Amino acid sequence: MFLLLPFDSLVVNLLGISITVLFTLLLVFIIVPAIFGVSFGIRKVYMKTLLKIFQWATLRIERGAKEKNHPLYKPYANGIIAKEPTSLEEEIKEIRRSGSGKALDTPEFELSDIFYFCRKGIETIMDDEVTKRFSAEELESWNLLSRTNYNFQYISLRLTVLWGLGVLIRYCFLLPLRIALAFTGISLLVTGTTVVGYLPNGRCKEFLSKHVHLMCYRICVRALTAIITYHDRENRPRNGGICVANHTSPIDVIILASDGYYAMVGQIHGGLMGVIQRAMVKACPHVWFERSEVKDRHLVAKRLTEHVQDKSKLPILIFPEGTCINNTSVMMFKKGSFEIGATVYPVAIKYDPQFGDAFWNSSKYGMITYLLRMMTSWAIVCSVWYLPPMTRQPEEDAVQFANRVKSAIARQGGLVDLLWDGGLKREKVKDAFKEEQQKLYSKMIVGNHEDRSRS
Amino acid sequence: LPRAQGAHPLPPLSFAPTVTSEQIEHLHRRFKQLSRDQLTIRKENFDSIPDLEFNPIRGKIVHAFFDKRNLRQESDGLADEINFEDFLTIMSYFRPIEMDMDEEQLDRFRKEKLKFLFHMYDSDHDGKITLQEYRNVVEELLSGNPHLEKESARSIADGAMMEAASICVGQMGPDQVYEGITFEDFLKMWQGIDIETKMHVRFLNMETIAHCY
Repeated sequence: MFLLLPFDSLVVNLLGISITVLFTLLLVFIIVPAIFGVSFGIRKVYMKTLLKIFQWATLRIERGAKEKNHPLYKPYANGIIAKEPTSLEEEIKEIRRSGSGKALDTPEFELSDIFYFCRKGIETIMDDEVTKRFSAEELESWNLLSRTNYNFQYISLRLTVLWGLGVLIRYCFLLPLRIALAFTGISLLVTGTTVVGYLPNGRCKEFLSKHVHLMCYRICVRALTAIITYHDRENRPRNGGICVANHTSPIDVIILASDGYYAMVGQIHGGLMGVIQRAMVKACPHVWFERSEVKDRHLVAKRLTEHVQDKSKLPILIFPEGTCINNTSVMMFKKGSFEIGATVYPVAIKYDPQFGDAFWNSSKYGMITYLLRMMTSWAIVCSVWYLPPMTRQPEEDAVQFANRVKSAIARQGGLVDLLWDGGLKREKVKDAFKEEQQKLYSKMIVGNHEDRSRS
Repeated sequence: LPRAQGAHPLPPLSFAPTVTSEQIEHLHRRFKQLSRDQLTIRKENFDSIPDLEFNPIRGKIVHAFFDKRNLRQESDGLADEINFEDFLTIMSYFRPIEMDMDEEQLDRFRKEKLKFLFHMYDSDHDGKITLQEYRNVVEELLSGNPHLEKESARSIADGAMMEAASICVGQMGPDQVYEGITFEDFLKMWQGIDIETKMHVRFLNMETIAHCY
């Protein structure tokens, strides 16, 4: 039994009062607007203030660099080596011409032919298109987060103090607030959908389910301090359609689902995710697959087709890239969702990396680390464009349709449209691609032999 | 014996080291990307470069990175892993020629590049390119074509080898056996042929752009 000094009771009282105040503030300014879908505009003001501070910080860095007479570097965006755009044939012709003077139409092999492949190989080792897409985008100005400080070394005392203040605000004020909000949002989602699940099927259940989902997603959006601008909302997906979007992080789901009511598609996970998934499906028919079913493409296609044909069911939300890309480009869309034959509603999502990098590099960070990084950034700022619906034309196949949709999304979001497969993040190139180059070269050397022997 | 890490800040380049510090920084970032933030790279790390899969002699190129003869080490054979210094050493074989190099430097430059190529052909490290090794290279380069029989590839290699022999040794008697192309022969074959401009990689001109608002 220890004596409580008068100080202690004072401290305890103060603590109690401040926590109550914090929670009241939470309730009034964040959760209530989320329930009704209105906004006070606090986040926009916050964003503008932050921008002004970042500009000031960058100016100070420039001044610091100028005083020391060092130039500042702009980080490379398009590669570090000058790749010559000549084709295989031209190059080998040139090499041979400068060498022994043998023409290309004599089918012989020259020692020098190896130069071309050797040089190309070294060039790709130094710098290749695909690997670049899988690391986080680099910024031109500093946003007071040490994790994005790659290039700047001229940070004065004032800036360090500002940065320290930023750390304090982010970790001691924003982080607990956000965690509390996230907790509220998720528990409301689970309990709300379970409760609604007990109601009999009908219009009442649908109405309640929709609003429970929307409300909880809006709370989660505020939990990340996500400032989202929606464009062209008249093109929002309708029942019986499929919504496709480019994928940068798991947060994409929250961003889209807070503005529309979708049926999710995915694999059932264990743990907390699994609990949430199982609760959600009680209130409204989401499409969850068991792990074993995911491999069976026909089963997946069948279930999706059934869902889409039922006009009373919600639009499906799918991310065809299959993995998270760093939001500077759009990679190959897997054709599965484009074979089903429903109307496709493309959506482009572009994040502004100045406030917080939303890209999830799943080989570098686990889910929890990633969420913590998100919650300790300043904010997540992004723009969402709803593009007009597209359907598959009779003369194109699923792959062409997928590419058409992909180009539209890339163009709207200002992203680079790449032909590469997002699966390359983890796997190797298919052998079919490898053989193309070799076939071309060997055709050059041996082509004439074949023609001669055939005739 | 493992080499001491970080013994020299910059590898001892045999020609004028005009690689700028920003180029080295860019290469370092690339190294970290390939090595996934480890201090050394192994052969498996090169699997993460999809564009490299296109290349028919991919195996030989990756092998060249770990070839101790290219790494300027006294011993022979293959290293298991290389650090950033070694990476830079291999990259230095592909430096473009500078305008201000004199004859001797140019000659040394050329020899270095040709030596790199020679090591690529000579896979058993015995200092000679034998007929079998030559055949291996040709087969690899032509391996992607399913219509090509192995015989065609072999005959191409044999023909090329015979021509090499005629350049190096001149007319051979009926009993003479041509053992293989030595490095001196290799150099002879390239006399008068300009390879320096074909075996280099240029850095983009990094303009320093100040941020002006």
